[in-house]
Amino acid sequence: MLHKRTFLLVLTALLLATPFVFAGGDGEEAEGDDVITLTALGYVDLTNEITTTNWEELLAGWEEAQPNIKIEWEYLFGEPYHNKLQSMAVAGQLPDLVFLWPGKRTGDVTGSGLVKDISSYVSPVADQFAPAAIAPQGANGEFYELPEQVTATHVMFTNNRLLDELGLDFPETLAELLAQGDVIRDAGYIPIAMDNKDGWQMQSCFLSALVARTGGREWLDAARVGDASFTDDEFVDALTVIKTLFDADMFSPGINQADYGEALNAFAAEEAVYLIDGGWRTNELIKLMAEDAHEYVSYEVFPALPNEGGLPGATALVAGTGYGMNANLTGAKADAAWEWIYFFAGPEGSAIKATQGWLPAVKMDLPDTISPMLVQLSEFVNNVPAGYVIDAVMDGEGMGVLHPAIQEMMFGSITPVEAAARYEEWVAANDSSR
Amino acid sequence: MTTLGNKRASYALLTLPSVFIYALVIVFPVVFSFVLGFTEWSGFGAPVFTGLSNYRKMLTDLVFLHGLRNNMLIVAVSVFGQIPFGFVLAYIIYRGLVKWGDFFQTMIFLPITVSAIVVAKLWNQFFSPAGMVTAIARILQDDPRFVFAIFEDRALAIVPVLVVILWYYTGIYMVIFLANMQKISPAVIEAAIVDGAKERQILFRVVMPQMTNILFTTAVFAIAGSLKSFDLIFAMTGGGPANYTTVIAIYMYLNTFKYYNYGFGSAVSIMIVILSLGLITLIQSVYRYFEAKYE
Repeated sequence: MLHKRTFLLVLTALLLATPFVFAGGDGEEAEGDDVITLTALGYVDLTNEITTTNWEELLAGWEEAQPNIKIEWEYLFGEPYHNKLQSMAVAGQLPDLVFLWPGKRTGDVTGSGLVKDISSYVSPVADQFAPAAIAPQGANGEFYELPEQVTATHVMFTNNRLLDELGLDFPETLAELLAQGDVIRDAGYIPIAMDNKDGWQMQSCFLSALVARTGGREWLDAARVGDASFTDDEFVDALTVIKTLFDADMFSPGINQADYGEALNAFAAEEAVYLIDGGWRTNELIKLMAEDAHEYVSYEVFPALPNEGGLPGATALVAGTGYGMNANLTGAKADAAWEWIYFFAGPEGSAIKATQGWLPAVKMDLPDTISPMLVQLSEFVNNVPAGYVIDAVMDGEGMGVLHPAIQEMMFGSITPVEAAARYEEWVAANDSSR
Repeated sequence: MTTLGNKRASYALLTLPSVFIYALVIVFPVVFSFVLGFTEWSGFGAPVFTGLSNYRKMLTDLVFLHGLRNNMLIVAVSVFGQIPFGFVLAYIIYRGLVKWGDFFQTMIFLPITVSAIVVAKLWNQFFSPAGMVTAIARILQDDPRFVFAIFEDRALAIVPVLVVILWYYTGIYMVIFLANMQKISPAVIEAAIVDGAKERQILFRVVMPQMTNILFTTAVFAIAGSLKSFDLIFAMTGGGPANYTTVIAIYMYLNTFKYYNYGFGSAVSIMIVILSLGLITLIQSVYRYFEAKYE
């Protein structure tokens, strides 16, 4: 009886323990002699045919260049990517390679010590990159990712064929732009195509550039730390420009109901004279618009405001995204991870991406075969003065206050002064910069 | 060891894995959430105890209060819309008051067989500024800039969402009611007809009293489901514009998984549980009243 009971107990214990034993099986890695296997969390929109095709071309180039480094990819895009990244970081289970932002977007993760400072890898190749891309990303000069590009978040894409058709020139001032509204609408076109259902577009692609004009980098630096306030004229005036344009029916109808991409489609279909969006839209415009359109679409900044006390004629720039590596990687695995990071942002990957309409952060001669739109983007990024992108320097949670406030302001529920006060109240109480 | 002792040891051993798994996936997260609701924690480092401050912040946040108001409207549409509507439709089909009852039953049930995300995207496609319905409305109104203003109205922006919720979920209640009505003995209905009962009397005096249990059960489902509404609304509007269509679950999601306020998000989730329990208790009281009345 005793033996039987003991046998049953041992059997039960084995049954209970079995799943846990096998759950630990991930730790074993079957790698060939020379092949290094890395895990990676990639940021790719697999529902977008253009993006997916471009990504596959890039991976083909990588596999050809580094046959002995195998990367096991998991892909996510948008908020699900950030949720997964944060969850993995909290659980201390970051993959070997992760896609990162240079500013506060992934600041919690990079600031957690779980991502390696790759300064020692970056330093020897830093002079290969545009200076704007090689700006330290941590408080003590750390680099967590190598930017693939320098991103202009504000470009006023202009369809000059439509302007000619309507007998108009690109406006020099806000007043001139407003005066074009009736002419453009009467002809059945949208003056400024823009979509803002998600809220970030108005802040990132427009308000940031407006604040750069009214206050410049110095004012935003002061506002971040509390030496200036978001209730100052610099910020309120920028918000007022948005309100003025909305009230004058200059934006796409239903701008705050439109999903991101509707404005791009309207512009690509030549239903809108201007499109306000980020420079990253270039590769999609190249694919969506007929080739002759590449010649008559120009890259402009928003016309002059009456009170440009900051950086006149400015856009907003931010160092781009790129890949970083898990802080636990050492030796050959760390070197292999760097090979991907450098391939993705460096000359080899950039040469592939340039043909797809991406403007790389690495200094390189653009191929002769690229679209004139990409050449314009390159000139735009290199020559236009630039301020900060607000959500790259302020806490992301505050955007959850600012974005709805801008939408409410457009609907007329609150004034620009009230919208500014609402954001300042949140920043004063919560923003980590204060 | 005695036989009773052996039995107890066997029971304990056999139930231990289930209890362990239940505790791991249900009890632990709930208790952890409850405790976390009294802390501030971004996911890194140790949580900092902050007492009731998360609850104070929540109850004074206009976004939460607007989300709560929207949730209550969804509860109202579910309890006073989907259930009565589903009941009436089931009754019409059960009593054969329309021809092609099977066809209508299939059509009414059809929406629930489609994923909530697909439904949300479809409705978005219809009513977005670039959508088909908007395009037709622009032609009819002769206004190329026409958009549906209701989506930009703080008080009314939730209404289109409520309509979709009503359309989407009514079918499931209809099927539940129909299945239960079909369990009523036809002899009872026939007896009522022989006794000269009118349709109204059959409904309220014969069918309804036998459905109180299921009405209560569906009300509990409706309330619990309404308070945790997320997928359909998140895919339709994301809670916007300007938080006009937000609900508590979206508020919780954003605070927890976008802004990484795990303590605050936990407090919001506990609030959802409290609200659910409160409303279900209320429904129980109403149920007892009707149960006593019909008995």
